Amino acid sequence: MKSVPKLIRQFLGLLIVSFILIFILNIVFLAVIANSRTASGHPYTLAKEIGEALKKTEKGYYLEKEFLDILEKDHIWAVCIDDATHQVVWRTENTPETLPQTYSLSDISNLTMGYIQDCATYAGAAEGGLVVLGYPPYRYWKHLWPTWDYTFIANVPKTLLLGLAANITLILIIYVIANSRLLKSVKPIVTGIQSLPTGEYFHVKEAGVLSELARNINKASDILLSQKHQLRKKETARANWIAGVSHDMRTPLSMVMGYAGQLKEDSTLTPDQRQKASFIVKQSERMKNLINDLNLASKLEYNMQPLHMTVQNMTAILRQVVADFMNMGLEDKYQIEWAAADSPAHLSVNVDKDLMVRAIGNLIQNCMNHNEDGCNIYVSLHQKGNHCVIAVEDNGAGASDTQIENLNHAPHYMMCDSNVKEQRHGLGLLIVKQIAHSHGGRVAIGHSARGGFGVWVFVPLG
Amino acid sequence: MDFEYLRNKRILLVDDEPELLNMLVSILNTEGFLHTETAKTVKEAQEKAESFLPELAVLDVMLPDGDGFSLMEKLKQKRDYPILFLTARGEEEDKFRGFGLGADDYVVKPFLPKELIFRILAILRRSYKEENPYVKLTHSEIDFAGAEVIKEGRHIPLTAKEHDLLSALYRNAGRIVTIDALCEAAWGDNPFGYENTLMAHIRRIREKIELNPSHPKSLITVKGLGYKLNLEEK
Repeated sequence: MKSVPKLIRQFLGLLIVSFILIFILNIVFLAVIANSRTASGHPYTLAKEIGEALKKTEKGYYLEKEFLDILEKDHIWAVCIDDATHQVVWRTENTPETLPQTYSLSDISNLTMGYIQDCATYAGAAEGGLVVLGYPPYRYWKHLWPTWDYTFIANVPKTLLLGLAANITLILIIYVIANSRLLKSVKPIVTGIQSLPTGEYFHVKEAGVLSELARNINKASDILLSQKHQLRKKETARANWIAGVSHDMRTPLSMVMGYAGQLKEDSTLTPDQRQKASFIVKQSERMKNLINDLNLASKLEYNMQPLHMTVQNMTAILRQVVADFMNMGLEDKYQIEWAAADSPAHLSVNVDKDLMVRAIGNLIQNCMNHNEDGCNIYVSLHQKGNHCVIAVEDNGAGASDTQIENLNHAPHYMMCDSNVKEQRHGLGLLIVKQIAHSHGGRVAIGHSARGGFGVWVFVPLG
Repeated sequence: MDFEYLRNKRILLVDDEPELLNMLVSILNTEGFLHTETAKTVKEAQEKAESFLPELAVLDVMLPDGDGFSLMEKLKQKRDYPILFLTARGEEEDKFRGFGLGADDYVVKPFLPKELIFRILAILRRSYKEENPYVKLTHSEIDFAGAEVIKEGRHIPLTAKEHDLLSALYRNAGRIVTIDALCEAAWGDNPFGYENTLMAHIRRIREKIELNPSHPKSLITVKGLGYKLNLEEK
């Protein structure tokens, strides 16, 4: 949700810049207009000029043609009122006939301030009289009572600034209210979009100005969810299928193992027959391990294996696994060594004990499976940074660099979505990797300093 | 080993597969368990239990007219005796975690005969230990009921901790019992930090049961892992 405050800041910045820009533009515009108007001549100035230009001769008043042309061009009429008689003593030809010939003082006061017969009038002093210019109706509008309180005029700059400030504040408030309403409807949409990649269910309220957007986001979320659900259903079905098959194989295999196990121990049989029985036992045990591994691997892969995390002493778990292997009756060609001296007596780790036992058991079994001629197996534990490292190594045949590279990086055939032609390897290591991953750890496979193969399981300390 | 009396226990076997029942009977008979009875359904098992009075029941989880768990409850309502489950592993696997249901142990199919026998013997030893007061070792005898060791005609008393440790070792006679399991047996849960104490106790036990404690014959150290109690070879 970091993007929303950023958005607000950007909008606000833009708004302030717009204010400043509009302010400057207005001033420039005003200046240009005022300038152009002043240049074209003001009626008061013209009245003054005409007044000065009007000459009093013996024959009467006389105005030069140059000025008469200016007046005529703009359809302005002009009269001259005598100071003493208040009679019109001179007039232009276009002066309306209806204009009075005599003017009282109040008439003069009125025409100076305002109009005569809708014509805006302007007065200018002339020699022995008063020149009055009359503009055609609707040419000018006059402000009749241009009078203000003195303090008002004195405070104009302050008042203007205050007014401006009030306006800006008002606009900002309107902007913030309008925007907060918009943001209010944007916020759930932003939240919605942000939770889309998480794949969790959410529903944006489909109201306000952005309801259509909200509707589409909800639709997208529904589609994603249903796809995820479908995928999950398929995965569950696959894991269930594997679980079902392995379940159904267990009872028949029990009988194979049970009877073969009995025959193996039967002293009335010949050594050769007992040898064959022991072979059946061995192979059925392989099948049993395969079934167990397949089931667990598919469950771990599809996250269907619940983790029962408890704080455990990893040393105790390793001791138990090693002791269990020894108690099981190992063949003499295999020796398991628990590196008691190098390993801590107590290392608390939050793990699923059963899965850990399974992983370590798989690694030890792996050493035996790949060294038919026997080997020594070394199990040790140490702490490295914030991880506990379980090492299972042997001094057996080991593996080539290519094989180790493949084991470390190539996907297992069970998880590979393309056709696999290489030789398939067992599920043992895959399960160890899955278990490590489910604990937030990892697995490293490599050459052991003991001479053979080595696997190191890293599990984060709680 | 000295567990002959356990082989006289009455064992009820319940599974819907007659073939598997036959095999179980055969395995048990071979190992000397002669008192067995079989049932294929929950109903039959309840009826058989009435007359047979089993001292151990081996139950399959999936039965045609119910499941092993509810059968266990019904059986235990009448009489209390240990129950071992046979499971084909599946969803029920989780139910076994911690044996919250009151089952004594479970064996996952498929299993080797010796594995099943070992589990059955372990449960019987745990459940009926009071019947076995005497254990013969190479140089001495342990009287668990009297909490003493008889060595060369002398009676040497055992402390409570020594008794606990020897019992744990004896229940797993011939097998390695880890340091952790022994500490837990003597000091309960969270037995961290008792390893040196354990070593001291083991030394004292050896002084009591061995002729030459420096060269033990019965109580063997398995380096770094734990200890093993060897019973007298017959």
